[in-house]
Amino acid sequence: MTNHWIDIQHADVILAIGSNPAENHPISFKYIEKAMDNGGRLISVDPRYTRTSSKADTYAQLRPGTDIAFMGGLINYVLQNDLMHREYVLNYTNAAFIISDEFDFDDGIFSGYNAQNFNYEKDSWKYQLDSEGNALRDETLQHPRSVYQLMKKHYIRYTPEKVCEITGTAIQDYMEVARTFCSTGKAGKAATIMYAMGTTQHTHGTQNVRSYAMLQLLLGNIGIAGGGINALRGEANVQGSTDYAILYHILPGYLKSPTYDNVSLSDYNTMWTPKNNDPKSANWWGNTPKYMASLLKAYWGDTATEKNDFCYDYLPKRSGNYSFIKLMERLQGGGFEGLVCMGTNPIVGGPDAGAIANGLDNLKWMVAADLWETETSVFWRRPGVDPKKINTEVFLLPAASSVEKEGSISNSGRWVQWRYKAVNPPGHAESDAFIVDQWVKNLKALYKNDKGVFPEPITDLAWNYGDGHEPDISMIARECNGRFTRDVVIKDKSFKKGQQVPSFAYLQADGSTACGNWLYCNSYTEEGNMMQRRGSDDPTGMGFYHEWSWCWPLNRRVLYNRASVDMNGKPWNPKKPIISWNAMTRKWEGDVPDGGWPPMSEDGSKHPFIMVSEGLGRLFAASLADGPLPEHYEPMESPVANAMTSQQSNPAVTVPGKIDNSGKYPYIGTTYRVSEHWQAGAMTRNLPWLVELVPDMFIEISEELAEWKGLKNGDMVTISSERGSIEAKTLVTSRIKPLRVGGKMVEQVGLPWHFGFNGLATGGSANMLTAAVGCANTTIPEYKAFLCNVEKGGKTS
Amino acid sequence: MSKANLTQNNSFLIDMTKCTGCRGCQVACKQWNQLKAEETEFFSGEGYQNPPAMSEYTFTRIKFRDYQKNGQNEFAFYKEMCMHCNDPACASACPVGAFVKTEEGPVIYKAERCIGCRFCMIACPFGVPKYEWSKGLPLVKKCTGCYDRIMEGLKPACVTACPTAISYGPRDEMIKEAEQRISRYPDRYINKVYGKEEAGGTAVLYLTSLPFDELGFKPVTMRALPSYTWSALRLVPTIFLTVGAGLSALSWINHRKDRLKAEQEQLAIEESVNPKEEN
Amino acid sequence: MTTTQLVVNEIKGYHRFVKFLIFLVLVAAVASMARFIFGLGATTNLNDTYPWGLWVSFDVVTAVPLAAGAFTLGAIVHCFNIKKLEPLVRPAIVTGFLGYSLVAIGLLLDLGQPHKGWQVLRYWNLHSPMFEVSMCVMAYTTVLFLEFLSPVAEKFGWHLPLRVLRWLEMPLVVAAAAISTLHQSTLGTFFLIAVDKLHNLWYNPLLPLLFWVSAISTGMCIIIVEATSCHKWMGQPNEGVLLRTLAKVLPWTLGLYITIRVYSLLALSNGPFFDQPVLTLLFFLELGIGFILPFIMFTQKSVRNDDRRRVTAALLVIFGVVLNRFNVSMFGMMDPNQIYYPSIIESLVTIGIIAGHILFFVLIARYFPIFEHHPETVDYSIPDRLQKLDGRSKPVVRGIKAQPLKAGS
Ligand SMILES: Nc1nc2c(c(=O)[nH]1)N[C@H]1C(S)=C(S)[C@@H](COP(=O)(O)OP(=O)(O)OC[C@H]3O[C@@H](n4cnc5c(=O)[nH]c(N)nc54)[C@H](O)[C@@H]3O)O[C@H]1N2
Ligand SMILES: Nc1nc2c(c(=O)[nH]1)N[C@H]1C(S)=C(S)[C@@H](COP(=O)(O)OP(=O)(O)OC[C@H]3O[C@@H](n4cnc5c(=O)[nH]c(N)nc54)[C@H](O)[C@@H]3O)O[C@H]1N2
Ligand code: SF4
Ligand code: SF4
Ligand code: SF4
Ligand code: SF4
Ligand code: SF4
Ligand SMILES: [Mo]
Repeated sequence: MTNHWIDIQHADVILAIGSNPAENHPISFKYIEKAMDNGGRLISVDPRYTRTSSKADTYAQLRPGTDIAFMGGLINYVLQNDLMHREYVLNYTNAAFIISDEFDFDDGIFSGYNAQNFNYEKDSWKYQLDSEGNALRDETLQHPRSVYQLMKKHYIRYTPEKVCEITGTAIQDYMEVARTFCSTGKAGKAATIMYAMGTTQHTHGTQNVRSYAMLQLLLGNIGIAGGGINALRGEANVQGSTDYAILYHILPGYLKSPTYDNVSLSDYNTMWTPKNNDPKSANWWGNTPKYMASLLKAYWGDTATEKNDFCYDYLPKRSGNYSFIKLMERLQGGGFEGLVCMGTNPIVGGPDAGAIANGLDNLKWMVAADLWETETSVFWRRPGVDPKKINTEVFLLPAASSVEKEGSISNSGRWVQWRYKAVNPPGHAESDAFIVDQWVKNLKALYKNDKGVFPEPITDLAWNYGDGHEPDISMIARECNGRFTRDVVIKDKSFKKGQQVPSFAYLQADGSTACGNWLYCNSYTEEGNMMQRRGSDDPTGMGFYHEWSWCWPLNRRVLYNRASVDMNGKPWNPKKPIISWNAMTRKWEGDVPDGGWPPMSEDGSKHPFIMVSEGLGRLFAASLADGPLPEHYEPMESPVANAMTSQQSNPAVTVPGKIDNSGKYPYIGTTYRVSEHWQAGAMTRNLPWLVELVPDMFIEISEELAEWKGLKNGDMVTISSERGSIEAKTLVTSRIKPLRVGGKMVEQVGLPWHFGFNGLATGGSANMLTAAVGCANTTIPEYKAFLCNVEKGGKTS
Repeated sequence: MSKANLTQNNSFLIDMTKCTGCRGCQVACKQWNQLKAEETEFFSGEGYQNPPAMSEYTFTRIKFRDYQKNGQNEFAFYKEMCMHCNDPACASACPVGAFVKTEEGPVIYKAERCIGCRFCMIACPFGVPKYEWSKGLPLVKKCTGCYDRIMEGLKPACVTACPTAISYGPRDEMIKEAEQRISRYPDRYINKVYGKEEAGGTAVLYLTSLPFDELGFKPVTMRALPSYTWSALRLVPTIFLTVGAGLSALSWINHRKDRLKAEQEQLAIEESVNPKEEN
Repeated sequence: MTTTQLVVNEIKGYHRFVKFLIFLVLVAAVASMARFIFGLGATTNLNDTYPWGLWVSFDVVTAVPLAAGAFTLGAIVHCFNIKKLEPLVRPAIVTGFLGYSLVAIGLLLDLGQPHKGWQVLRYWNLHSPMFEVSMCVMAYTTVLFLEFLSPVAEKFGWHLPLRVLRWLEMPLVVAAAAISTLHQSTLGTFFLIAVDKLHNLWYNPLLPLLFWVSAISTGMCIIIVEATSCHKWMGQPNEGVLLRTLAKVLPWTLGLYITIRVYSLLALSNGPFFDQPVLTLLFFLELGIGFILPFIMFTQKSVRNDDRRRVTAALLVIFGVVLNRFNVSMFGMMDPNQIYYPSIIESLVTIGIIAGHILFFVLIARYFPIFEHHPETVDYSIPDRLQKLDGRSKPVVRGIKAQPLKAGS
């Protein structure tokens, strides 16, 4: 989230698109309703009429996978009706930048496309530069190669009629959304976008998010109170786990993980440290070398010195895509001997789950650390297989749950809150920290005694978290914050060896600081553990609660907050100031500003979007794999042809096997969550109180489809796709409706994905049906749109 | 009939326009009261509604209404629970006074008194008290208003769990708040605070945007129910005395007549025949 | 011969109808055991929608007015001093006592916490009709018990108690009438609280009065039926002449009932009335066949004086009251989406209770002097050994013969 939960109350318009906060982020609704009590309007854009839709002022139905069309139309509406926040757009975005003459877009394909590899050469997507290497700009926005004009040209094709033909939205609903949302392009008005998996789980998921961000930039809604683009994070601590590099392509603090060609630390730094000549650009990632060196110091302690590149050689280098889908492909090819499943249940949660389950049969061993026996840990017992024929040795380590151990948890609003242990874990259950600690200690001993091919990365690992049974969590937290490794003077301040680093501004590339995660630097200072704070003062009345826990970065509650003020540092909305410049004290007041530089009109100031190298919001972004401007493509499986161009699906995504667009599977399937269950279900399908609420796997279908198929509520049906088939009970409802797309009616069906064959409540896994194909940028699977068929009856009916 | 100061009663204000149907309340109630889960199959009612009804295991439940009105979807949620009536029918009906309206607001149940006649179940206009049908010596079960929690300074479990819809506080304040919301957002609400007068007033108050009958609220009288029976019961002493005295008088008069007649007869006999003693 | 053998032999001698009754009672006893072992839910069709079913509707709400003969007749004979009806009193008291005892048994089965039933005496809730009824039923059963003690004392020649009872007779009769008035009517009060539950055809503020008036009518009709049956099947003298007198009262009570019923419906109830066809039918059956028809019949001398027609009219009234009580306590509160019908166990228990009633009546009649009771023939004097204290005359104690059961039916 650019903003945080409490801030949602400041919105004039809330667009819940690709998310269902009432059901999946129930607490967020507290703030949505506060906003509504203050006159805010809630818009729900969802293929299904959800519990969120039931609370919305406006509901617009759209076909799964058509968000870019939907948003493109809104962008067009803003540009055609000149509704944008001009001053904001001019000063805080790259709208005025001139794009290379080589850049082109033709029938769905951007320039530089390589059809063999399904990827783009991005050379033509660049800014035109002046002699100093800075981008050329046209403040009048009239230049035909300016971002603004290119964008206008690109989206003029997204007329309301065209959009609705693609999305299936009723045009009056669409226009109501357009009028309501785009009315916030004025100073003093704010709209927020709350998105989640309905947005991201598509082959063009990242572009979906981009389209939201662009609209928000045009309306001047980023950085301001009640604005922003807010990813409603999923798993309770998924924000924390991405901050700490659960993904293959990053290291803690979103440092890039080194690739095979980053042979030395300087190679790495050259490749991954962005450069910018604009004196007004803070280009924060320019600090990459400091953060990297400090991270390496934290990893290998005293062994890491300037001379040995801080043991950079010890870091594994990546040579390809290690995303979930790719790993599972490799598993199915027999590419792994063993698998550790720590808090995950892939044969329920992964796409084309049946194939993943088959892949597990190839393993020699599996270690599952979980609160429950999951489908994955008993994969050898799944229906249709003979356990005797599976030779995998499975170890199930009982894990302690979140309330049975101490530590921090990071929420969507980036608040890092300390959680204390409430009860002892049952039986032999142990915390994940204990499990990992034991692994490392034993590995170290093994490598020390038996040697190995390359033992040093492990034997030299600085791993000192006390001698207790449980590793000392506060020692880990202190290490994440970072400390000085020797006495130093930085920015006229002197620090002693062993002292905690006060903020990432003091991190060094010379080995004088060690820091486990630069983003968390300032969370555990000499003053103590900031995450444990529970002060509830709100001096500004804006709900920052700076004394409550701690928030990255540097306790800043709203990101890009320097965009919430005009050139002179005056808030766009003086009634809801995030920060404002006090000319007397020459200081910012309010939230922790995104850098303390003076307002834009003064010398020595910096652009507000400090995390991108040009410092300005990117309406045109060359950094993505599949194009600098979002363009509508159909999902990989779709019942209709792309009405925009002849490019059917995202050209930057390789078309996988097991896809069927032949018409054999006529209905759009989409998967979703219900309040009553959690994810792959181990945590809720084993809880009688929750099983009582939603006891069976079901499929939501429209009244029209039910009539066509002769189905009544509660009837058993078989749902099949090119990947497999499952059974479910039919829930006939007016909340799902067929859509009129390109002149024909298409039916969609909704499937919760929480069920599996193990546990107290069992049922077919929706992921037996989904396709293992992912987003061009993130490889997040396309769980939200695929094709299937529904037939009355089931084996058990 | 109760000593409680009804304006200060702790009351629930349930704003259905704010209820997201998340059912956190339903689960929190089960957890706090350690109630067994019910075995359900599919859904029992509209939407995702489950279990089919309140019961000995379910003190509160979210009812779903999932329908279309003028071509528009309606998906409405409403929390069922004991209304904690100001003058509860259950309490007046119970022969042993097992139900008590407490000063704090909740209508509580003293299991040790209950004889199990189930008159409370007949009496309650909202169908709240439920019975332990599975047991040989069953007791009545219903929402306790989390009396045990509020006596410790906590709010009821369902209130604490609810992210959005339930406010809790003195009844007059809740009514004021409800009325303020109606006047502040006249388009959002039906102009009615359900529970303000229903059944003589309850400590659970509802606000909604959809007509109450559409949501499945049963029509109830505005009079406190105990007054209906009391209008007859208050005559009991009078009737007892009247009937008793009347019949006594009647029979006394009749018997006096008899006696006088008998005495006269006796006298006549004695006068005519001088009786002789046997033995 | 041991006592057991004696008892067995005695039983062997009973008529097979009596044996059948014993069988039914035993079956009911077993069924009631099941209720305690498996719980109310498993053995009855009661549930949260129908917390009251057959047991409450019949064993309590209906059985009580059916047992109203005792207080009605008591009052008629003793208070209104229509002495010639006295021979009917004892059987009525026995019927009443049995009726109420069986109500108590029915209640014990139906109560969730029968072992705590006595707590009604401990925790008083004056606002509860149920409290009122419980207290009255307990008091009245005691009264009936005391009244019933007379034949027992007579049989065993307990003189002193007999004397005390004789002395208590009047107060007991008055108490019986007063208490009965209260609880017969309060049974109606029960349903006053079911404001939005009981159908408009039956819900009205005069329910208590209607229950009372109808109970009085039923009481008399039950006596008519009972005396007629005893004559027919138990070889008792034909009390037809007395019943004629009784039947003369009935047009008045029935007329009163019908008037109040119609008045309350027209003036005190709110519609809609005829929205549910089944209930409409039940209503007309109840009022037309159960009250108006017998009312008309009883106004006819030819009917009153004819044993057969008289009993027919009486049976119609009983039918009317039974249906009325079921309409109020069950049918009129039915949820059309979820119909209640009694389970086998509930039915067996109720059948057992009815059988028990007849059985005990027959047995009591066999062993106790309830029919040939003509007070003027009873010796209420003090026995010999007490004479010294008294010094007054001591009469002969008349022997009492067991009444043989008439074979055949
Ligand atoms: N109760 C509960 N809460 C949860 C979870 C849970 O399992 N249970 N999981 C947590 C996790 S890990 C996550 S990631 C979040 C996910 O939170 P959400 O993203 O809110 O979850 P979903 O239900 O998967 O999808 C949201 C909505 O997207 C809609 N949708 C489908 N396709 C499209 C589309 O193409 N465009 C648009 N605009 N909408 C579409 C679906 O109909 C659905 O209503 O929830 C978290 N919260
Ligand atoms: N079709 C479809 N599939 C989807 C999605 C979808 O929308 N549609 N959503 C996707 C999304 S967003 C996500 S995040 C994934 C989630 O997929 P998974 O992560 O595989 O699913 P979970 O059920 O959350 O698995 C978490 C496991 O961790 C265990 N656990 C809980 N706490 C602890 C702990 O402290 N320690 C340990 N060791 N274990 C613990 C739980 O018991 C549970 O079994 O699923 C994805 N799959
Ligand atoms: S599930 Fe947990 S994290 Fe999500 S809203 Fe509920 S309490 Fe908050
Ligand atoms: S709702 Fe029913 S159970 Fe609750 S207090 Fe009122 S009468 Fe009693
Ligand atoms: S069942 Fe218990 S609580 Fe209910 S009225 Fe009877 S005695 Fe009272
Ligand atoms: S007040 Fe307590 S007992 Fe009543 S519904 Fe709420 S949580 Fe359950
Ligand atoms: S917890 Fe609150 S919002 Fe959720 S269902 Fe219950 S009343 Fe509604
Ligand atoms: Mo997620």
